[in-house]
Amino acid sequence: MRAGWSYVGRRALFALITILVAISLNFVLFRLAPGDRTSALRCQGCTQEFKAQVRAEFGLDRSVPEQYLVYVKETATGNLGRSFVTQQPVLAELWKPVRNTIPMVLLGTLFAISLGLTLGVVSAWRRGTITDRTSVWSGLLLYSLPTQWLALMLIFYAAGPLGLPTSDIADPYLAYENPGWWPELVDRLQHMVLPAATIGLVLFGEYTLITRSSMLEALGEDYILTARAKGLSNWQIVRRHALRNSLLPIVTLIFLSLGFILGGAILIETVFNYPGIGLQLYESVTERDYPMLQGGFLLLTVSVILMNFLADLLYFRLDPRVTE
Amino acid sequence: MSALAVEDLHVWFDLPGGRELHAVQGIDLALEPGERLGLVGESGCGKTTAILAMMGLLPPSASVAGRVLLAGGDILAGGDRTMRPHRWTDIAMVFQGAMNAFDPVRTVGDQIAEPLERAGLAAGRAARTRTAELLELVGISGERQDRYPHEFSGGMRQRAAIAMALACEPKVLLADEPTTALDVMVQAQILELLVRLTDELGLAMVLVTHDLPLVSQACTHAAVMYAGRIAETGTTRELHHAPLHPYTRMLFEATPDLRGTDAVRSIPGAPPRLDEPTVGCPFQPRCDRAFGPCATTRPPRRTTEPGHLTHCHLEGGA
Ligand SMILES: Nc1ncnc2c1ncn2[C@@H]1O[C@H](COP(=O)(O)OP(=O)(O)OP(=O)(O)O)[C@@H](O)[C@H]1O
Ligand code: SF4
Ligand SMILES: [Mg+2]
Repeated sequence: MRAGWSYVGRRALFALITILVAISLNFVLFRLAPGDRTSALRCQGCTQEFKAQVRAEFGLDRSVPEQYLVYVKETATGNLGRSFVTQQPVLAELWKPVRNTIPMVLLGTLFAISLGLTLGVVSAWRRGTITDRTSVWSGLLLYSLPTQWLALMLIFYAAGPLGLPTSDIADPYLAYENPGWWPELVDRLQHMVLPAATIGLVLFGEYTLITRSSMLEALGEDYILTARAKGLSNWQIVRRHALRNSLLPIVTLIFLSLGFILGGAILIETVFNYPGIGLQLYESVTERDYPMLQGGFLLLTVSVILMNFLADLLYFRLDPRVTE
Repeated sequence: MSALAVEDLHVWFDLPGGRELHAVQGIDLALEPGERLGLVGESGCGKTTAILAMMGLLPPSASVAGRVLLAGGDILAGGDRTMRPHRWTDIAMVFQGAMNAFDPVRTVGDQIAEPLERAGLAAGRAARTRTAELLELVGISGERQDRYPHEFSGGMRQRAAIAMALACEPKVLLADEPTTALDVMVQAQILELLVRLTDELGLAMVLVTHDLPLVSQACTHAAVMYAGRIAETGTTRELHHAPLHPYTRMLFEATPDLRGTDAVRSIPGAPPRLDEPTVGCPFQPRCDRAFGPCATTRPPRRTTEPGHLTHCHLEGGA
């Protein structure tokens, strides 16, 4: 047996330490940002006394180290404070948009994985053919296009013909009709399609290119020649040997992009006015809603670290050589 | 009927810019069951290319012509279609640099059993038993079949590669420098193993190597390749004691003597480029016996004893 648990333990410890560093950085970065809650108070009658009172109320009058300790302790217990804007607990306020983002991102990623991996494999196997060239060029194109531009193009050219909504998460009038769960689900999915397709297309380009190159690398290895010599068919060679080996780098990539995507969704969600975590963070920035921002960025960081950790675990499962 | 016969085998590689490299320029070989043929020659003379061509394993940039007869039937003619059914069941290979011949993410046993399952010879439990037997045959405990390649030492991996080659009881084994990159002790063991196995199983083996003393020790026959052609082929004894081609003689002379009396001599000069046509004898610039026709006329195939062939203008031996 491999020393499996010690590996998992070490990765987990590493992840925890990284999270702590992230919390500290998060704290520091937000102290460095210009202005505080009181500078957003632009009311005519806001006297200096009133501002001081507000500052005291939020603990902004205490020393920075003190604020830091309080922050770490409260974060660890899941208390991320209250939103300046809604006065509701940050965690709950964040959860609402995250719940909208996750299915949308998953949909897009699934689309990208299934199509990108397939096309990458086919393209590597039929290297130099028309199929290969077409997929390389379309992959490069999609990968290099600006996300928001791609989103706009989808709105201009796909939304109309397909009859898809371009904004929001659900039809506001549908609820009044009380139509039952099925039409509501369909409505939700329809609102999800365009933002998900945008993410999917961008990732699809990336996945195709990377799958192709890592597949080509695997196909050039000696064990592939052995497999051919053993009389395996092309499909058996791909399925049993090339795919698993070429998947190793791709797995990491997929998990990393899943982690980053919550943050990357800012552009897409803004374009589609989709009430997810990206849009929420955008609004929180304009509102100078520090607790929400801190919570949001912490959430993004933790999701990246967590996905990284998951990628490590999966890599460990897939590659028997990983022990140290 | 020969276990393996190769007739007029040619290989060309497409090079960038529309040029061609004629890597194998018409070679003929024949092996009876139980014979071991040492295929020797300097680096780049086409040994690997020739044996890869025999199993149809060259990359798409290569074009192949000629015939490869297994038990009388040409397996080259129909491409992959006629080749695939014979792969591993009739003709198997131990690759040059067999260190990397195993897929790192699958167990060694799994990869040994793979061709058994493919050929419908054994599956499941039976395949595991057979795999254990094969590993024992090369001196590895059968329990190690569940280990991964990186858990094997270099010598063990090489043995496992041999076990894998024997899985389907092939009639012909092609071994491409199976002992390079191993230390001397392990080299000797692997070689002894190959000799014993070919004797016991009645295998015909082509052993590709640079190492002439190794051929003298282990092989019944030898073929000396030079610049994509067979310079001379015959029994090891004939080549050693009555060479017909000056290159053969010089190769043996260049080999360090076990008694250490002669100083090692190397053959000056370099082989010709294979991407340009050669006129006359390709060995002519380096030959110490070159004379009149050598520079202009391609030497014909000549034979003295049955099975002892050479391409050289000299008539009285080298
Ligand atoms: N894929 C390829 N494309 C182009 N040329 C090739 C290719 N493979 C081999 N060659 C050329 O063919 C010739 C024969 O190469 P080959 O590998 O068969 O030699 P070798 O006798 O096995 O040498 P070594 O002893 O170094 O293994 C060389 O000149 C080599 O450069
Ligand atoms: S043909 Fe002439 S040059 Fe070539 S090996 Fe024989 S003697 Fe030497
Ligand atoms: Mg070679």
